[in-house]
Amino acid sequence: MIKVEHLSKKFGNLTVLKDVSAEIAKGEVISIIGPSGTGKSTFLRCLNLLDQPSGGKIEIDGANLLDPATNVPKLRRKMGMVFQSFNLFAHLSILDNLTLGPIKLLGSLRSEAESKALELLKLVGLAEKVDSFPDELSGGQKQRVAIARCLAMDPEIILFDEPTSALDPTMISEVLAVMRRLTKEGLTMLVVTHEMDFARDVSNRVFYMDEGIIYEQGTPEQIFEQPQREKTRAFIHRIRSVYLRIESPDFDLYAINAEIEQFCEKQILTKKTRQRLLLLVEELLSIYRPRLATTPLELTLGYAEKTGHLELTLESPGDAPYPLDSAMLPDDLGLTIITNLAESIDYHTDTSANRLSLRLVED
Amino acid sequence: MKNLCQLLVACLLFATGSSVAQQETPPRLQDLDGKRIAVLTGSSGDFAARKHFPGAQFVDMTTTPDAALAVDMGKVDAFVFDKSVMIGLVAKNPQFHIVEPPIASLDVAVAMSKDNAALQAEIDGVLAALKQEGELQRLYAKWVASAYTTTPEMPGYINAGQSGVLRMGTNALNEPYAFHTHGTLLGLDIELAYLIGQRLDKRIEIMDYNFEALIPALQSKKIDFALASINVTEERKKLIRYSMPYLSNDISALVRVTRPAAVTKSGGVSAWLRGVADSFHSNIILEGRYLLIWAGLKTTVTISVFSTLFGTLLGGVICFMNMSKRRLLNLPARTYIAVLRGTPVLVLLMLIFYVVFASINIDPVLVAIIAFAMNFGAYTAEIFRTGIQGIDKGQMEAAIALGFPRLSAFRHIILPQTINRILPVFKGEFLSLVKMTSIVGYIAVQDLTKASDIIRSRTFDAFFPLVMVAILYFLISWLLLQSLEYLERVTDPKYGRKAGRS
Repeated sequence: MIKVEHLSKKFGNLTVLKDVSAEIAKGEVISIIGPSGTGKSTFLRCLNLLDQPSGGKIEIDGANLLDPATNVPKLRRKMGMVFQSFNLFAHLSILDNLTLGPIKLLGSLRSEAESKALELLKLVGLAEKVDSFPDELSGGQKQRVAIARCLAMDPEIILFDEPTSALDPTMISEVLAVMRRLTKEGLTMLVVTHEMDFARDVSNRVFYMDEGIIYEQGTPEQIFEQPQREKTRAFIHRIRSVYLRIESPDFDLYAINAEIEQFCEKQILTKKTRQRLLLLVEELLSIYRPRLATTPLELTLGYAEKTGHLELTLESPGDAPYPLDSAMLPDDLGLTIITNLAESIDYHTDTSANRLSLRLVED
Repeated sequence: MKNLCQLLVACLLFATGSSVAQQETPPRLQDLDGKRIAVLTGSSGDFAARKHFPGAQFVDMTTTPDAALAVDMGKVDAFVFDKSVMIGLVAKNPQFHIVEPPIASLDVAVAMSKDNAALQAEIDGVLAALKQEGELQRLYAKWVASAYTTTPEMPGYINAGQSGVLRMGTNALNEPYAFHTHGTLLGLDIELAYLIGQRLDKRIEIMDYNFEALIPALQSKKIDFALASINVTEERKKLIRYSMPYLSNDISALVRVTRPAAVTKSGGVSAWLRGVADSFHSNIILEGRYLLIWAGLKTTVTISVFSTLFGTLLGGVICFMNMSKRRLLNLPARTYIAVLRGTPVLVLLMLIFYVVFASINIDPVLVAIIAFAMNFGAYTAEIFRTGIQGIDKGQMEAAIALGFPRLSAFRHIILPQTINRILPVFKGEFLSLVKMTSIVGYIAVQDLTKASDIIRSRTFDAFFPLVMVAILYFLISWLLLQSLEYLERVTDPKYGRKAGRS
């Protein structure tokens, strides 16, 4: 039904989509997830040419969307779109919002269009708002009307561009409920969303987008239970991280501690965890100090919201022997502290870089 | 702006009107050097006075009534102009006095464009014959020397010459040469013009210009000749061609000898009301002056309404061009807006009339509509742009995503929201247009303001005609505004519901 090949999109010098290829069959429900600014919305907007792609090919039902001879407005009529900011026509009543398209574009009779609009409003639970105006509705109600407006055109495909992002938590569920219902109607749906539970429950397939491409895709089970690639995993487990670069043996320990404390505060970690973490970092840095004269050190702190794991990674360029080897150290005190504080310690080295990973003990 | 100033002067006059009368000795001619002297810009009195009173401070004015009012109010000490005009003024207003002797004596002649030697020969022939027959002397005795108190009759000339048309320009605020009574033009210059037409077997078409617009009108061939008691001066000879003189005219100084200006004497409300009733009679009823006001009113409304309509359409086109991404379209639009908004509409009006349509005999009302529409278009183009850009981008996106072609999305979604949004600003712009039309007198259109000028030139009553015109402008604006307010109500999206549709 939708076939995308090597789609790319640039805004000036900024490349938002690098190379996106995908094939979507009729009736599929696809959730598109990923961090902000990775091109999810742009991908969706390219599909109905709200944004003009810079390169690649898009086919809808066999019709080439980028061929100048294609009647794009006509093609858009079977492809509804639901926006983050609803975009209901502010000067029209709810009823007119639903009937304008069918009357002007599909040539429906007013009476037909109105009775159909009423039915759709019943479907989304807003029949009593038929004579209201958009500014009299709550966000969730507006979005349900926007969905009904799409349905009034009898589309085969609906593109949802972050439909719940602008809503209060209390209103999200009413919109999701309507969307869940639509998945049973056999419509082809593409949903850009941050609602992971929704993505997991209703989609046939999940696209994880990052770095301007579809970074990983699969069934909800594959993406949510066994993500294959690192960035996907970080995203799924909601890993928050802080990154520090240390370039001299005379580093500012107070500044480093302050950054770590700030990170702990943001993730709402316990005081005990924070003290352990600070101690661990201080001991590690004192062991690494002799090396810092020649090689810089990158320190990454990652916290996985889902599992509660705190991971510390120290990476520096070049091959190097295991730093925690007791034979190499002046005394065992630091080493004892570190091994007590770390639940697991991993070391990996090759010619390009060496990396020490530790996981902090939990209570 | 000019109207506002005049109104202020009038109110001032009204307020000071109740002080006690007091006789003063009239000044001698030599006393006037070093004083403030009013002149009409470009008139013969202007040149003569500057030569005669090198130490005086000159105040430039545009109409005889304004200058006389300035003398009356003590804003200036004297007004230097044609003595023959002042004779009539003094006859009606005893507080004025003409200082003897005259400061200069100048020939008065018919003016023509530089390259029209044939017409000069014809007119010279007629004037020589009229002089021989004593007709010129008769006209002078009838209109000037008599210092009449009841206006003389115009003989019934049949203006139906067979061998073509002569277009004549005059300035009809200039009794006894050319002025309005009972809705018709009369005076020495007018009678002379008909005599010339009769002798040459040509039909005379008379157009009423501001005095300073007569020479441009001749140069751009809007008129064939000008008869407006034009004095022969060396400077003007460079620009225009003169016939032989038909009169010799004295230039004198007019001063005030009594105060006050006499609108009301102290005498309470009833006296004041009587004064207003008298003013009403002399300014509106007498000589059928309401006809002038009615005609002026219609002209003002016509110009306002049509320039608003065309200006709005033009503004739409310019706005569309301006918002286009193509440089070929948006650059001319941007230039147009910048130039039209940055220059006075008066200049545009004069340029269109005297330059663009110089050799075309076009109705000046149409020129006024074109000029004001062009000006209004530049402003509305920007009003439209603000309105359109103020609408959330999502509205257009939603319409396009539904499958509307761009133009149709604009018509059904953007335009209805724009109209309701811009109407408040549009109304303000419209009101200022209505008042701006008061400058059309420059291109010989008799609008409401010009009508009041004509009445003032006859009655020398400053207060009443101005306040009356202000009230009429207010009423026109208010009435026309009602139609826009109706539009504002029906374009309110919730109008139908408020009116109880559902």
